[in-house]
Amino acid sequence: MPPRRDAEYMDVDSDSDISLPDDDYDGSRAKGKGRSKTGERKSEKGKGKAKDNQAYTWEASYARSWDTVQEDEAGSLQTSVEELLARGRRRRLLAPAAAVRRTIIRHLILLLDLSSSMMDRDMRPTRFDLMLQYAREFIVEWFDQNPLGQIGIVGMRAGLGEKIGHMSGNPQDVLKAISERHKLEPVGEPSLQNAIEMAKSTMSHLPTHSSREILVVFGSLTTCDPGNIHDTLDTCVKNKIRISVVALAAEMKICREMCDKTGGQFGVAMNEGHFKDLLFELVPPPAQRASRAAGAGATNPAADLMMMGFPTRLPDASPQSFCVCHNELKSEGYLCPRCQAKICDIPTDCDICGLMIVSSPHLARSYHHLFPVKPYEIVAASEALSERATECHACSRPFPLTPAASATEGMSPVGRYRCPECHNEFCSECDVFIHDVVHCCPGCGK
Amino acid sequence: MNDPRGDHLSVVVDLSPTQWHLSALQPPANVYPLPLSSFLSQLLAFLNSHMACKHENTLAVFGALPGKSVMLYSSTNPAKNLQVMDSNSYPPFKLVDTTVVTRTAEELDALGDPDEEEPLGLVGAMTKALCYINRITLPPAQIPGKKQGISNSLVMPEPRILVLSVSPDHATSYIPIMNSIFSAQKLKVTIDVCQLYGPETVFLQQAAHLTGGSYIHLERRDALLQYLIMSFLPPPSIRKVLSVPTQDKIDFRAACFCHKTIVDVGFVCSVCLSIFCQPVPVCSTCRTKFPIKTLQRLNASRPPPNATNTTRTTTGTPVPQSASNPTTPALTQPTSTNGSSVHRPAQARSSLSQQSSM
Repeated sequence: MPPRRDAEYMDVDSDSDISLPDDDYDGSRAKGKGRSKTGERKSEKGKGKAKDNQAYTWEASYARSWDTVQEDEAGSLQTSVEELLARGRRRRLLAPAAAVRRTIIRHLILLLDLSSSMMDRDMRPTRFDLMLQYAREFIVEWFDQNPLGQIGIVGMRAGLGEKIGHMSGNPQDVLKAISERHKLEPVGEPSLQNAIEMAKSTMSHLPTHSSREILVVFGSLTTCDPGNIHDTLDTCVKNKIRISVVALAAEMKICREMCDKTGGQFGVAMNEGHFKDLLFELVPPPAQRASRAAGAGATNPAADLMMMGFPTRLPDASPQSFCVCHNELKSEGYLCPRCQAKICDIPTDCDICGLMIVSSPHLARSYHHLFPVKPYEIVAASEALSERATECHACSRPFPLTPAASATEGMSPVGRYRCPECHNEFCSECDVFIHDVVHCCPGCGK
Repeated sequence: MNDPRGDHLSVVVDLSPTQWHLSALQPPANVYPLPLSSFLSQLLAFLNSHMACKHENTLAVFGALPGKSVMLYSSTNPAKNLQVMDSNSYPPFKLVDTTVVTRTAEELDALGDPDEEEPLGLVGAMTKALCYINRITLPPAQIPGKKQGISNSLVMPEPRILVLSVSPDHATSYIPIMNSIFSAQKLKVTIDVCQLYGPETVFLQQAAHLTGGSYIHLERRDALLQYLIMSFLPPPSIRKVLSVPTQDKIDFRAACFCHKTIVDVGFVCSVCLSIFCQPVPVCSTCRTKFPIKTLQRLNASRPPPNATNTTRTTTGTPVPQSASNPTTPALTQPTSTNGSSVHRPAQARSSLSQQSSM
């Protein structure tokens, strides 16, 4: 449990504390609710524990970011760095190794709270500025991992839902929509129902095999709705829209209910770093839960065969011609394989024949979700070191010759990690790099 | 130019014995024969000139052998047993030359004489090069008992990988190669490709394009060193002001999973994104069954047999298609023939062997 300086808080249930960033607001209410939550709560709690030395934002008088890193006896920061690595590794090992069916073609509406409560300064500089900054990073990362996805942006301002950015598959378009801060100036009360209705209607035409998701960043503790929000919620469940909420203030029952019923994730940000973590947890494609699907038998109604075109890229030096999307004379571009129309950017739907046009690298970018690298085994100190390789199989860094004295859980004392397929050994840095970035084992090449 | 940091170059050398044997055959088979020995001597001259460009430049050489991949040389951990120095040569050059040559000979000798050659470990060599670049670009810190060179203490400004390939593409390595391309993009590593022998490789072509490198398919193989020095020696930032050969047209077409033919309009499973060249009732990768309605719709909407053929050829002419001309027959046929699935696997196989489709 995170350290509490205030004695009177000690009796509060530790679970509910974590999602309660506003101290004088709802202490008693959350206390009652906290007990019923399990699942996600546990992981939140784990997070709170991991960041052991960190106080809550509202408690901290000033940022003490250096407190999270501890020097070891020799005065080096190496142990702290290794602990961070170990934490990452443990989280990865917890993830299911078996093939999980994931939604590859995603449609996401980002619901941004633009109510006056976003001007609170409990997150620096303000909740609003922080949200915009993280939203930009989120969008970039999201498109990197979901190249076939589309994002639209809806704002909640002055009791209305406001369309800020149309559904688009181009990260530049989406970023442009939220680039101008003065156009998004927070004002008034938010309305969850209005905004969700709007998001729902923009996604109503989408094909069934793609996912429909709403991600709400919610800073307010109230919502002012014209009707019964539970009806809206029911239609969302019926339309298989997954709602996830990242709350910046405190847990609200309706938010929690929305996430639970639609299969989304709910989290309350404790501080700036946690806010980012919660947001970025939603970047990888969600696993499709077979049990929740309507016809969870042999046939999956969500699956479909799509027709896609793979274009040819024209060189910069080719003769100029008009593109179909902007009516501009250009020499570079892509040719639709079916109707030979010239298109500026992919992925897109061909404006002339409606064929979905993607490049094969776009498809390939998602393959690592489907064929992940198996987690490497930790080599224990007891295993004989004499006849083993002396250096990392990937980067040729020499392994330490003597086992480290103190090894935390999830770390190998001899700094070796072995691939279960090809039995080659790798150093911890390559282990992290291979699993996080390369997605391909250098030993067995898959 | 006064940057105190050196450039890093990782060279991945394809050491497939079969391909090098084919490459060394005399004129009736090859217009310009290029045996491994003469390739190595030209490569060494190139490596030496990279090191001569700047004292801080670093170098690593990886070899891709059948079924495995090895590091042949790296400037951060040089060979332990130094050879007797020749007083007439510059020691760093001598060190690189002897290490690369002896290690190559060792590895080739160790291969033995297997009946069937295993697939080339090109992916392994590329990922090793990436891991190595990742290692040297990280801040120094924790390498116990090791001297910190200048190269270790500073972040590399422009790491790059040069792939010298003689083998055709391997269809099975499509996904891993793609993954290494994406990680190179993330690390801001440029991948240059020089295809010394054999057909164009679509994968490496895409690798060079996606990472901003250059791809050269060698025509005059007797002028290898000139190609290497003119196009691959300058770092990417300088290449902007030089006119380095660029790719004119990049194929973004994909290979279908069922017959390994290259398709321009494919059918994609929404669950796993497997690509098929014709509507199939069940996805072969993830066993998902597709609704009958979609199949009927897709079958109906497929272009009539001759339509695609004509559009291809008529509209294809204004586009400079010189490079991919041999592919076109193989490309158009699978999409244009509707019912002749009997012939398709045969075509697919032949196109795979000649053209090394993805």
